[in-house]
Amino acid sequence: MAGMDALRATGSHLAEMYARAAELYGGLPAFATRRARGQWTPVGFRELFENGRALATALIELGVGAREHVGLLGDNRLEWILADYGVQLCGAADVPRGRDVTDAEIEYILRHAGVRVTFVETACLAQRVSKLRGKLPDLDEIILLEAEGSAPDGTRRLGDLVARGHELRAAGDRRVEERMAGIRPDDLFTLIYTSGTTGEPKGVMLTHANIMSQMENIGMEIRCTDRVLSILPVWHVFERVFEMIAVSRGCCTYYTSPRHLADDLTDVEPTFMGSAPRLWENLHQRILKRVRETHPVRQVLFHTAYFLAHYYKESVFFLTHRQLSLRRRGALWRAGAVAFHVLRWFLLLPWYGFFNAAVLEKLRLVVGGAFKGSVSGGGALPREVDQFFNYLGIPVLEGYGLTETSPVVAVRTPAKLVIGTVGPLIPRTEVRIADPETGEVLCPDPACPHGGRGRRGEVEVRGPQVMKGYYRNPEATKAALRDGWFRTGDLGMMTFNDCLRIVGRLKDTIVLSSGENLEPVPIEARLNQSPLIEHAMVVGQDRKFPAVLIVPAAEAAESADGELPERIGAEIRARVSVAGGFKAHELVRDFRIVVEPFRVGAELTNLQKLRRHVVTEKYSDLIESMYAQDTQRKERKP
Amino acid sequence: MMEIDRELLNAGEQALLAVMILIIMFGMGASLTPRDFREALHRPKGMAIGFLSQFGLMPVIALGLALLLRLPPPQAIALVLVGCLPGGTTSNMFAYFARGSVALSISMTAASTLLALVFVPALLNLYASGFAARIDAEMLAEGAEGFVIPHVNIIVSLLLVLVPVAAGMVLRRFSPDWAKTAEDTAAFMGIVVILFLIASVTIRHGGLFLQTPGSVYIAALGVSLAGFLFGYGFAALWRVEPRQQRAISLETGIQNTPIAFAVILLSFEEPLRSQMLWLPILYATSVVITSSVVTLYFRRTGRIDDEIYRNSRVHRRLFGADYRTPYPEAVVPANLKRHLPRIHAEVVERSR
Repeated sequence: MAGMDALRATGSHLAEMYARAAELYGGLPAFATRRARGQWTPVGFRELFENGRALATALIELGVGAREHVGLLGDNRLEWILADYGVQLCGAADVPRGRDVTDAEIEYILRHAGVRVTFVETACLAQRVSKLRGKLPDLDEIILLEAEGSAPDGTRRLGDLVARGHELRAAGDRRVEERMAGIRPDDLFTLIYTSGTTGEPKGVMLTHANIMSQMENIGMEIRCTDRVLSILPVWHVFERVFEMIAVSRGCCTYYTSPRHLADDLTDVEPTFMGSAPRLWENLHQRILKRVRETHPVRQVLFHTAYFLAHYYKESVFFLTHRQLSLRRRGALWRAGAVAFHVLRWFLLLPWYGFFNAAVLEKLRLVVGGAFKGSVSGGGALPREVDQFFNYLGIPVLEGYGLTETSPVVAVRTPAKLVIGTVGPLIPRTEVRIADPETGEVLCPDPACPHGGRGRRGEVEVRGPQVMKGYYRNPEATKAALRDGWFRTGDLGMMTFNDCLRIVGRLKDTIVLSSGENLEPVPIEARLNQSPLIEHAMVVGQDRKFPAVLIVPAAEAAESADGELPERIGAEIRARVSVAGGFKAHELVRDFRIVVEPFRVGAELTNLQKLRRHVVTEKYSDLIESMYAQDTQRKERKP
Repeated sequence: MMEIDRELLNAGEQALLAVMILIIMFGMGASLTPRDFREALHRPKGMAIGFLSQFGLMPVIALGLALLLRLPPPQAIALVLVGCLPGGTTSNMFAYFARGSVALSISMTAASTLLALVFVPALLNLYASGFAARIDAEMLAEGAEGFVIPHVNIIVSLLLVLVPVAAGMVLRRFSPDWAKTAEDTAAFMGIVVILFLIASVTIRHGGLFLQTPGSVYIAALGVSLAGFLFGYGFAALWRVEPRQQRAISLETGIQNTPIAFAVILLSFEEPLRSQMLWLPILYATSVVITSSVVTLYFRRTGRIDDEIYRNSRVHRRLFGADYRTPYPEAVVPANLKRHLPRIHAEVVERSR
């Protein structure tokens, strides 16, 4: 058994890791592709590596140089990972982006990254890139990933290149081995463009050392008998790290899609999965709906079971130091709490034991019944959803990170599964909490009684996972990196049991619960132009849709009397529209009027800029009311 | 000898116990299909070892404990009776959580329930006649009528117990959904009734816990533990697959106690009835605890082989029945190596 835990393919760069994995795991399935319900095709580690090496040989023949940037436009599929193998094995770096990329983004990214050769997933995407050739003088080669579909002229096919590579290898071509020997840990393995705050995407430079450190330090117990289900886009570094960890441990990754997720969860019985809050919200809804549809006796059994699980697990969490600890408590308080929880634990144990076995296990089967953990990232998990799954016995390990930190900074572990936090820092990672305005370090602060725990400020990260910088953007790099410390733009604090808690965002970008980003500033600027509106602030972080708080202009408030809300509503619809240049997910769906004007020094900085966290805190009830329907649906709970 | 001055259970409680037996056996039937009986034939080795362990080892363990602890004859007969019982649905649930072979557990439960018709009276005759003779002598000495083990009554009560099982199977045939509900409700009812009976006995016969000699507690607790231990060792000796070892171990130690209640209530007269009932009640309570502990232990030790088994099963289901997962040498634990080809070949196990 020690033998199994020790099995791990490592190396100083991804190409080396890929080669070791092929040696160690040989014919074990590395990736599996769904053909139809219950019918999947596996590909083994050795086969994948050999094809990847052939592809790399063909790429070298196409003239792809070491450290060159190769485009990779597409979503999760076997050919994506094969293309990645090819790129890594020839010592280049890929520039990934999903199928939903816009023409403007393709143009900007491929030009900025200096891409000569790009992979595209579909024939349709090949057409689009082809049409942009006029604006992309550097672009020479387009390689189509999918085997079907008619490719436009001048497009190569992945399969042909792999076949060509095998011929070359058979004839004794060993240039791949030379390339691999030349890869340094400091070389980029990928260049990921994120939609930045200023509108222009920024290219995040991540090195082999970055990703290898992640694979080393993320303490996930994944082995070759595990199964990882892949649902998040692989061009996000979060999902990618997960798949790399799976490769290094000999574990098979199964590609699913939102449409088939429900079936595939029960078919694949995954043991791990990278996930986003939205997924758990959906599953939560589905489980509750299923319960409502069952026989009344079973409903009663479920509610009893959840009730018991809730209080039982709450006590277990408390007794194992996994409760949210935001304050330092006195000894007396702690002794009392321990006594209470021990008693409650003991009284609930037999009942929980029975209901856990008879009722909750069947609910766990909805997600395959084999989960050891699922890491949720890319946004905050709503508290009741978080509790629901963890109390049910489906461990949801919320993590925290950004593309710039490749991505994991902190993640809950089963031993430190503290609901309400993103867990402890991963090894060799430092976090400090700094005052967003003065830059003064609030935590760790030896002068402070508890080392500065419990104080809020901007989260700054230093560690082997922090990016090299933004590609060809020294100003942005300088603003983000200070003496190796990366400024995340997130507000957070360290709890008293040394977990990181994220409380909000300093940076303006709003991430909806769907994972879509939107910039509030352009929307607010448009609204502020209205004669009726003094100030507008867009909210919607981790929500399903954006909404806005409006401070009406003083004159308008006096003249408009009773009709003000209607007129402002019409104004918002007219100004923030698709016709007006906004995207569908940016359309504001609700608003509330704030009577008290924003004041400099409180809600506004000296430069009249919004202090978003102040407004969010002050008007949290008002904001909540806009999403009340949303949460009500969620809260019709056990 | 422990004396119970009044009846251990009054008429109401006895009726409650009877209803509980009815419900539990009905729930057991609701969890079974004719396929489970047929499938027993697909695992001849596991079934044979399990059968020997259940009807060969366990009654001897019970007899040995009764002699070793010098139990009074009525309790000794009760203990031997507990040892001769077939398995119940509880063992299937524990097998599931202990990473044991649920299919084997279900098949063993199904087969042993049927075989009990023959084996319970035969084994009782073999192992309990000595104790019965002592009771007989005592009663004759007191001038009462003599005592013999009521074999016919026992067979009749066993047959009666099978009626709700059959009814449950009929329900399962026509409405699997209702059957599921019946199964869960039955298990819950079982726990509630047992706890209620203990509480009510405590109130009415407060001193009973103190009067009960320590040997009876040891017997009630020890019989399941010894069953788990010897069952596991026996299965390991015959080198059956680790998952089957765990299932056989649990199946050996966990007995279908409601059948004991039925047999005692329907076949034995007072005061013997009250003297005999207490031990199975204690056993039914303690077995939940001992099997939980053993299950937790098995969950831990069986993790690796179960993960390999489960992974191979998913692979065969998704990649085709011919797929063989080529695990690296270092990964497969020694006790699993010789079973891998058969694990690969085994029919896809039905999920719980």
